[in-house]
Amino acid sequence: MGIITVLWEKWVEFRRDFYKITVAAMISPLMYLIIFGMGIQTTSHGEPYLHFLIPGIVAMATMTGSFSAVAQNMTVQRLYEKALDQVMVSPTPLWQFILGQIIGGSLRGMYAGTVILLLTLPIRTGLVFNGWSFLLMFLNGTVFSTLALVLSFLSKSYADAPRYTSYIIMPMSFLCNTFFSTDQMPAGFRQVIGFLPLSQTSRMIRAISAGEDPGHIGYVILLLYLAIFTGISIWFIYKKKNL
Amino acid sequence: MIEIKNLTKKFGDFTAVDHLNLTIGTGEFFGLLGPNGAGKTTTISMLSTVLLPTEGEILIDGTRLDRKASAQKRKLSVITQEYSMRQDMTMDEVMEYQGRLYFMPKKEIRRKTEELLDFAGLLEYRYRTVRHLSGGMKRKLMICRALMIEPEIMLLDEPTAGMDALSRRQMWNLLRQLNVRQMTIVLTTHYMEEAEALCDRVALVSRGKLGSLDTPANLIADLGAYAVDEVIDDNTRSRYFKDRDEAIRYLSAAGGQASMRSTTLEDVFVEHVGQRLTRK
Repeated sequence: MGIITVLWEKWVEFRRDFYKITVAAMISPLMYLIIFGMGIQTTSHGEPYLHFLIPGIVAMATMTGSFSAVAQNMTVQRLYEKALDQVMVSPTPLWQFILGQIIGGSLRGMYAGTVILLLTLPIRTGLVFNGWSFLLMFLNGTVFSTLALVLSFLSKSYADAPRYTSYIIMPMSFLCNTFFSTDQMPAGFRQVIGFLPLSQTSRMIRAISAGEDPGHIGYVILLLYLAIFTGISIWFIYKKKNL
Repeated sequence: MIEIKNLTKKFGDFTAVDHLNLTIGTGEFFGLLGPNGAGKTTTISMLSTVLLPTEGEILIDGTRLDRKASAQKRKLSVITQEYSMRQDMTMDEVMEYQGRLYFMPKKEIRRKTEELLDFAGLLEYRYRTVRHLSGGMKRKLMICRALMIEPEIMLLDEPTAGMDALSRRQMWNLLRQLNVRQMTIVLTTHYMEEAEALCDRVALVSRGKLGSLDTPANLIADLGAYAVDEVIDDNTRSRYFKDRDEAIRYLSAAGGQASMRSTTLEDVFVEHVGQRLTRK
């Protein structure tokens, strides 16, 4: 099955770059936790700010982990190494290749999120992370893996991947419920930002961690993004004239 | 059998391949020759489905080739001009990835990897990453990777580019062996002696259009099997003759600044491309 082949390829990459991947997944989130959560000690809604911050940082780590695992890799494979040609000419169904990229990217995102959870364990915040939290981390990873696929198909040079990170991922990291609630934003802007996938993931992981019901609408929104980006990726790989 | 019907590829206003029509028989060794920018690599890229045609179609054994055609793609293997493989994988991993993409059993992947890397003299470097290989080793690895799946059709885009004379000859022998086993081979090359030595038929293309198409021997015979080179104003000009006596008469009349030789495929190529460029 083609999906297993892609997962094998991702595993080879992970095994080889294990330390680099792990350190890269840790550095920014750890800095945010230290500076905003522990350095500038404050409260939010009567709770230590760290309780607000950790779920947002976990969601953000899954986003950046998944996105970078796919965007960088696919752009280099398509434009620089031309290794995608090997896949294109093979009998592996291309939808399976796409699905393998989505799952593989999402697993990398989950790994990044799990590393953050493990790092924050000694703080003993009492926050709850259960199977639903991990499902959300996975779902968030699939959304950003597919977004990375779409953008890598649109890339014209391999320098585009870091640009997309600056234009899309970094603004989302700061605006989407990670460091402060979208409720504090002006009307109109609040609704737009609130509809973004990271806002939904952060909100729901935070609700679960506080023992509250996250509701279902967030899952629907994430699945909607997933369906749209997957559709575009599959269209690109089958129909784009010049890959 | 490969049938290329009305194949056209445009990039904006530029037409890289212009209504190309070709039929390549099973087991044929076919050469696609042309100058830089003639559309050879674009044609190979369409045969490997990396590029989709603007117009026209490609049929493999009567069935249209597209990105969904897994059964047709199963028959194809491509050696591209560039080293199209993961630079951070070891040789072993490159071979395993190829085997997995073609759904080969793991045991078979291991056996074929050892056999092919040994055959290419690469076995002792099997755990070295592609990034750390020389150009020649990368080229050999690409050949091993293409042969991993025992294809029916092999597409080779400038396979000997950058190879030394010895390696090139080894490659020729390998390609001949494969062709003897009824493998269809489509080769693009700049080296005319390579096409002349290997190909059953060659197509001369320039500016995306098909010019002449025939066996190397027939193309040479059509131009004239005897060439007389004359040096006029520090430029060498060649004239071609079908009749040997006529060539000798011309040589005698030309004086000391002329010499006679057999016409080669390179002469056919230069004449063909020169005429097309002049017409433009």
